[in-house]
Amino acid sequence: MSEHYTQSMIPLKSVYNSDDIRNLELDRRLNDPGSFPYTRGIRADLHKRRIWIQRELSGEGGPKKSNEQLRYLIERGQLGIDIIGDGPTNSLIDPDHPMAKNAIGTQGVSLCCLQDFRDLYRDLPIEQLPVSNSLAAAFAIVSLYLVAQERNISPGALRGSLVQAPFYAEDCGYSTHLPFSLRLRLTADSIEFGAREMPKFHSFLEDTYFIREAGLTAVEEMALGFIEIRYVVKELLKRGLDIDSFAPRIAILVDCGMDLFEEIAKIRASRRLFAQMMRDEFNAKDPRSLAVVIASHTSGLSMTAQQPFNNIVRGALQTMALVMAEVQAVEISAFDEAFRIPSKESHLIGLRTQQVIHCESNVSRVVDPLGGSYLIESLTDQMEKRIWGMVLDIESKGDPAELSDKGWFKNFFENAMERYAKDIEDKKLLKVGVNVFQIPDEEDTLLRDVAEEKIEPYRERIAEIREYKERRNQGAIREILQRVYQKARETDENLMYPILEAMEAGATMGEIAGVMRLAYNYPYDPFGMIESPI
Amino acid sequence: MEKIRILIAILGMDQHEVGAIAISRSLRDAGMEVIYAGRFNLPPMILKIAMEEDVHVIGLSCHSWEYLYYVDELLQLLKEKNLRIPIVMGGSVITPRDEKMLKEKGIDAFGASAMTNEIIERIRGIVQGFDN
Repeated sequence: MSEHYTQSMIPLKSVYNSDDIRNLELDRRLNDPGSFPYTRGIRADLHKRRIWIQRELSGEGGPKKSNEQLRYLIERGQLGIDIIGDGPTNSLIDPDHPMAKNAIGTQGVSLCCLQDFRDLYRDLPIEQLPVSNSLAAAFAIVSLYLVAQERNISPGALRGSLVQAPFYAEDCGYSTHLPFSLRLRLTADSIEFGAREMPKFHSFLEDTYFIREAGLTAVEEMALGFIEIRYVVKELLKRGLDIDSFAPRIAILVDCGMDLFEEIAKIRASRRLFAQMMRDEFNAKDPRSLAVVIASHTSGLSMTAQQPFNNIVRGALQTMALVMAEVQAVEISAFDEAFRIPSKESHLIGLRTQQVIHCESNVSRVVDPLGGSYLIESLTDQMEKRIWGMVLDIESKGDPAELSDKGWFKNFFENAMERYAKDIEDKKLLKVGVNVFQIPDEEDTLLRDVAEEKIEPYRERIAEIREYKERRNQGAIREILQRVYQKARETDENLMYPILEAMEAGATMGEIAGVMRLAYNYPYDPFGMIESPI
Repeated sequence: MEKIRILIAILGMDQHEVGAIAISRSLRDAGMEVIYAGRFNLPPMILKIAMEEDVHVIGLSCHSWEYLYYVDELLQLLKEKNLRIPIVMGGSVITPRDEKMLKEKGIDAFGASAMTNEIIERIRGIVQGFDN
């Protein structure tokens, strides 16, 4: 009997040999990179393979400060733009809302109107670098579209991605206070909008990173991710869309914890599962619909507040695993993750870590360097079976939307959180500096000054946004918000166009979200503190 | 001894709920009664629930720095109502320096290194200390 397990509780043997891969039909199920089922990667060879997009998650203070942050990283060789909003922005309330005052710009960038997006992207090469967002998808896509148009960049040329999280974000991420049916509609609308207007842009990025960060296992992470992908795909097909019109632009943002071989196997298994699902269940024909782009954000949960320098090592190991797993983009959780959003120093360390692996280590010179390994192929097979087994098991319990409504997923997350905390306390999960090799707080000083430096809330924004709102033509704003409300309430038209018009006319994200809430019989303000303008 | 009644809440727009849920379950397992207020609370709401539920202690779970600004407001409100309810705070964003600063305000705080058993014992100690 094995005494060791992966984090998903797959038993680990001490030695693997040819017996472990004999029955795996590797010729068929592995194939070459760039060929179905894409286990070994979606590009055939190094010549066709682009180097992975090296980027770091950015956003702090207002849009202008975040623009400087992005320029700093781009000047130092960052290959993509990756933006996260602060708490109020991601919850779709404006900075002048009473709940926002102490959270403006401290955990991401504060954005609420088109002018903010203009300032955020100012002079950045958005026609060259992919632009990825962890922001409310509907607003992020129309704003990027509008800014590109203003700068005479064809939206059709834009690359990047948009996190779509209709299912789980409300329970374990940023709550938008929108009903599920509206979240699903906005997801489908923005994917449809992307497929039509921005065909190179991945308007459906399934974000399993934040799902995992609740303390889930790698198997649970991907099972829940696939459930969401499948639900949204079926919703789009119900609208009469052709699978090949949007499936080529589905991507997955996965987590990467410290169980490195399991993480590599997870990514390889997910590509295979996706390809099989698209071909056999959804009848996709376009090869691009079968080959899913996978990006990764290394685990913030694996980072520790104690001995923060250890996190630099963790980030490097995780990134090396990701490169060997053939991912298309990497962002490293910064070493100061436990305390704050990345400092300038930790941003640079994250980027440099990627560059050292890229330029010095040679690990990226061969496609899927671990392909054929007894252990990796055996683990990939087991991950595939367990992920899919869990997808079918959960779907057999009922319609995922109803399960979500009944709080089934919330309970699932809570159990995972408790299990994770307990595993650390019981030392089932060892963490250097936390439950093994600890040092007293007074000795734990290296890099702590940087990690503990606090970011003041950007409260000047409150007055700025109030003034901005007062300067607008109030009648015109009310009219345009009324229009969004009416379209949301009385039609099933794609809401991206009215949202786009409203953003262009100067309405704010909080206002637009508010009137959409009203249209779905929710209060305009989830906190009951401010009045509706319509 | 009477069952300890503890309010667990998260302040402002801090949306990280992992710690709050985990500690609530552990405190319940340890025999305490947890009144779980969840996310999106401002000091007046916390005060209101604390009074209505007649809690022995207020527990704040923090994964953003918003607590730095809300904690004085909450202390002020408690003082205005002449309420002597101890506050405990926990979360990995609370550094040893913050712990010291909070201690000076009379608030017990747990940073990243705190283990569940230690938290449970200290909460018991705080409530007993207040009773005496």
